[in-house]
Amino acid sequence: MKNIYQFIAVRFGLSIITLLLISFIVFSLMELVPGNCAERYLSFKQSSGQNITFQDIAAEERRLGLDRPFLIRYSSWVLNAFQGDFGTSCIMRVDISTLLIPKFGMSLGICIVALILAYSLAIPFGIISATTKNKILDSSLKFFSYLGLALPNFLVALAVMLFSTIYFGDTLTGLFSPEYQDAPWSMKKFLNFLAHAWLPIFILGWAATALALQTVKALVIDENKKLYVTAAKARGVTGKRLLLNYPTRHALSPLINSIGFDLNRIFNDLPIVALILAITDAGSLLLQALVRSNDQQLAGAIIFLMTATIIIINFITDIVLSIIDPRARKGMLNQK
Amino acid sequence: MSRTEILSQKQLVFQRFKKNKSAKIATFFLLFLISLGIFSDFLSPCKPTIAGADKDYINGAPQIPRFWDENGFSIRPFLYSTERTRSIETNFRWVETVNKEERRYVYFFVKGWEYTFLGITFDRHLFGVDKGQIHIFGTDETGKDIFSRTLKAIFISLAVGLLGLVIKLFMSLLVGGLAGYFGGWVDSILSAITDAIRTIPPIPLFMALAAFIPDTWSAEMRFFYIATILGLVDFPTLARRLRTHLLSERNQEYILAAQLCGTSTFKIIYKHLLPSFTSYIIVDTLINFPYMILAETSLSFIGLGLQDPVNSIGVMLENATKTDVLLNYQWYYIPTLFFIALVMAFVYVGDGIRDAADPYRVQK
Repeated sequence: MKNIYQFIAVRFGLSIITLLLISFIVFSLMELVPGNCAERYLSFKQSSGQNITFQDIAAEERRLGLDRPFLIRYSSWVLNAFQGDFGTSCIMRVDISTLLIPKFGMSLGICIVALILAYSLAIPFGIISATTKNKILDSSLKFFSYLGLALPNFLVALAVMLFSTIYFGDTLTGLFSPEYQDAPWSMKKFLNFLAHAWLPIFILGWAATALALQTVKALVIDENKKLYVTAAKARGVTGKRLLLNYPTRHALSPLINSIGFDLNRIFNDLPIVALILAITDAGSLLLQALVRSNDQQLAGAIIFLMTATIIIINFITDIVLSIIDPRARKGMLNQK
Repeated sequence: MSRTEILSQKQLVFQRFKKNKSAKIATFFLLFLISLGIFSDFLSPCKPTIAGADKDYINGAPQIPRFWDENGFSIRPFLYSTERTRSIETNFRWVETVNKEERRYVYFFVKGWEYTFLGITFDRHLFGVDKGQIHIFGTDETGKDIFSRTLKAIFISLAVGLLGLVIKLFMSLLVGGLAGYFGGWVDSILSAITDAIRTIPPIPLFMALAAFIPDTWSAEMRFFYIATILGLVDFPTLARRLRTHLLSERNQEYILAAQLCGTSTFKIIYKHLLPSFTSYIIVDTLINFPYMILAETSLSFIGLGLQDPVNSIGVMLENATKTDVLLNYQWYYIPTLFFIALVMAFVYVGDGIRDAADPYRVQK
């Protein structure tokens, strides 16, 4: 039991280090964007007719603390970010946390449902395709899962839109009907949300399914070759009992590890799907921040939140795996 | 026949690959698509840039050459001519009318716009019509020929992928090589960094990097920049694998022997350690190539990637989400079929090579 606590401590330390590294990368990227907040604030004033000098910009920089050295600004940013405070967006002039957190929660919800959908499809079909002797079934499963990998999500979204505009005369965009857009949450709004959300969930889940299916298949095939399965066969265990009790049980535990990776993939596709389906979530906010306005504070906050979520999920899945599977825990501790 | 043959590793891999039917078909298909891209200038009847736009056939439907109609049969395929008219009857909107009486015949190896291939200027094209232009996939909102642009887009996508790949390989070899060879604290630091980069979702990261491109850059500069960031963001996975491989390999005795002979570090890495890893690198490269193209397409699609006149499928689809296009001009989507075919062919070939290169694979 002592082992588990040691493992959790080591793993926690590693997660924090990764998070710090990422926050550093993100912050440096934000700094590289030409122009800073002081210039943006003042250029707005200039456009409303005031005369702006270099002294004004320097004064504004001092007021915002932008004249401090890079490392000091970074540490104050990262300290605030860990407390959930990302400052204000100097283009939209709102507090980033208030703007972002509800939208991010919604995106995360959609992504996690998509992930659950993906796994509930991938596990049974992966096992089927690993064990089937039916060549046509196997190659058609292979074809569909490769198609899921090969098709960019925006094409799937476009195809669904194309189809629905031609046949239903509705573009299926957005997350709510107009009348519910600003309404407070209620049962009706929730149902309306579900009626719209299935499409992004389906599109995001589809690509993840393809990948998870390949993983399940490879894992089951690998386990199937092992001696204990042969031994079980020799003892006369056959059919479903053999398959489910022996190779599958062992094959699925490494799958827990791929959850974080698959979530990464779904986050990856989120902004583009959001753009096509005109969803106002964190993904499209990121696009807005980057494409239309160069809003580095907002963009940095979104990328930081996305990555932090993935790191937290990775941390949790590693702990879960180490509890289920002592081999993983041992391997991890010996490595370090 | 009882003759003992000694097969090299390459021959063995090739033999196994040939047995895989779907991979073989995919290989031919892939070669076909690649040659479409390489010979795109010769194959396209119209110039793919704005200079070749057909002002008289804007948002025009695909023109399929036909052999007969009510006016009789013709061995040489032909098209009808179209005229754009605008008058009080059409409410002053441009309306296209098809003139069935006036046929335009399709000719092969016709003279057309000039292009350079391997440094030589040509003006012959595979096919064309005697009057006006032919658009077998239709035209877009400025009258640019979608067929010619599709072929050019295949070429550009391959070029971006290739350039990104070179950068990715270079970075992976450098970082993975250093981390794996030296181990210790060098490895710890480099691995922590590669792991951190790997955790960030790549497309948001691409987007953040692509947003730095100043508006003043030319389309060609954007092309190189996009290829570079694609390669830079993609390197961690391969670097990581390379490191693990080198860590186990560097304690082998042949490395010790080389070190005792006074061979320099870099020579040991590139002469002795890397060759043991080449086949893995080749396989990984092939498998990941389509994802490089996909990333570029997604970037261009949201307007952060390539821009006209350097066009890719993503650039071509930028406007395709408009309801107008969805309802009326579905031929905008024809290029996607080529694109899907290209990526699928790559995936199948990569899969076949991976299976063939794995000596432990049980033959089914």
